[in-house]
Amino acid sequence: MGIFDRSTAGQKTPPIEVTLERGAIAFFAETIGETNPIHFDVDAARAAGHPDVVAPATYPVVVGTFAGKESMRRGLPGIHAIINADFRCLLHGTESYIYHGPIHAGETVSVENEVLGFADAKGGKLEIAQVATRITHPERGLLVEAKRDIIHVLG
Amino acid sequence: MTITPATAKPGDTLPTLVFGPVSRTKLALYAGASGDHNPIHIDLDFAKGAGFDDVFAHGMLSMAQLGRLVTDWAGQENVRTLSTRFTAITPVNATVTCEGSVAEIVEKDGETLLKLTLSAKVDDGTQTLKGEALVRAA
Repeated sequence: MGIFDRSTAGQKTPPIEVTLERGAIAFFAETIGETNPIHFDVDAARAAGHPDVVAPATYPVVVGTFAGKESMRRGLPGIHAIINADFRCLLHGTESYIYHGPIHAGETVSVENEVLGFADAKGGKLEIAQVATRITHPERGLLVEAKRDIIHVLG
Repeated sequence: MTITPATAKPGDTLPTLVFGPVSRTKLALYAGASGDHNPIHIDLDFAKGAGFDDVFAHGMLSMAQLGRLVTDWAGQENVRTLSTRFTAITPVNATVTCEGSVAEIVEKDGETLLKLTLSAKVDDGTQTLKGEALVRAA
């Protein structure tokens, strides 16, 4: 008796373009306590050979979230709405990244989300949705593949 | 002696990273910075309505610390993968201690990589994240 809409397995969101903003990356970096200035100081980033500040290692989740918000502004459902996630009993189970290239401020990337599938655990007490996010740069190609398990705690 | 990815051997440990205490202010800032506005992390009324005694931290705020642990040590351009399982909730006002060690040296796609075992723990020793990373050895 799950809550997720399991008929959405395999569903992909249309690619959404997200422009990475320097101030947003710096705010995120400062909030997580980042001390490496390549993440919040454009001069330090350029001195280290980057075109602009570099997104920290877990920033792909933020890019995915921003893409979801942009979808909703266009009247399209975000990934949580697609799978019918219920925030009252939602936990984050796993998160993983495969990195192919850096994400810099000033770039416009394409973000695609996909519902990989659903599973049950602990005798039906947990239901798990697995979703993926791919972030692609128009010239540099695939930058990051992210996967996550989102869990409903049932009953 | 400080170990580096070029000299590291299985069993070597990375410098420990301590983050926190994770205040309510920090959770509000992380919600804004990350775009993760799930009210379970920032709205006490919502958290209580959902059956929790209090708000709790975003798991991704702790994963960000594992990310810092690894990129501070290896350099972000050398990190090939980063993954974690969230094994327990991080309570508000917890101090998060992040540790890493070299599990093994592996060859993948023509590169020599170090497989790192990562962990985050809160004040009472409960493990909150169990992670792994692959970084370039040299």
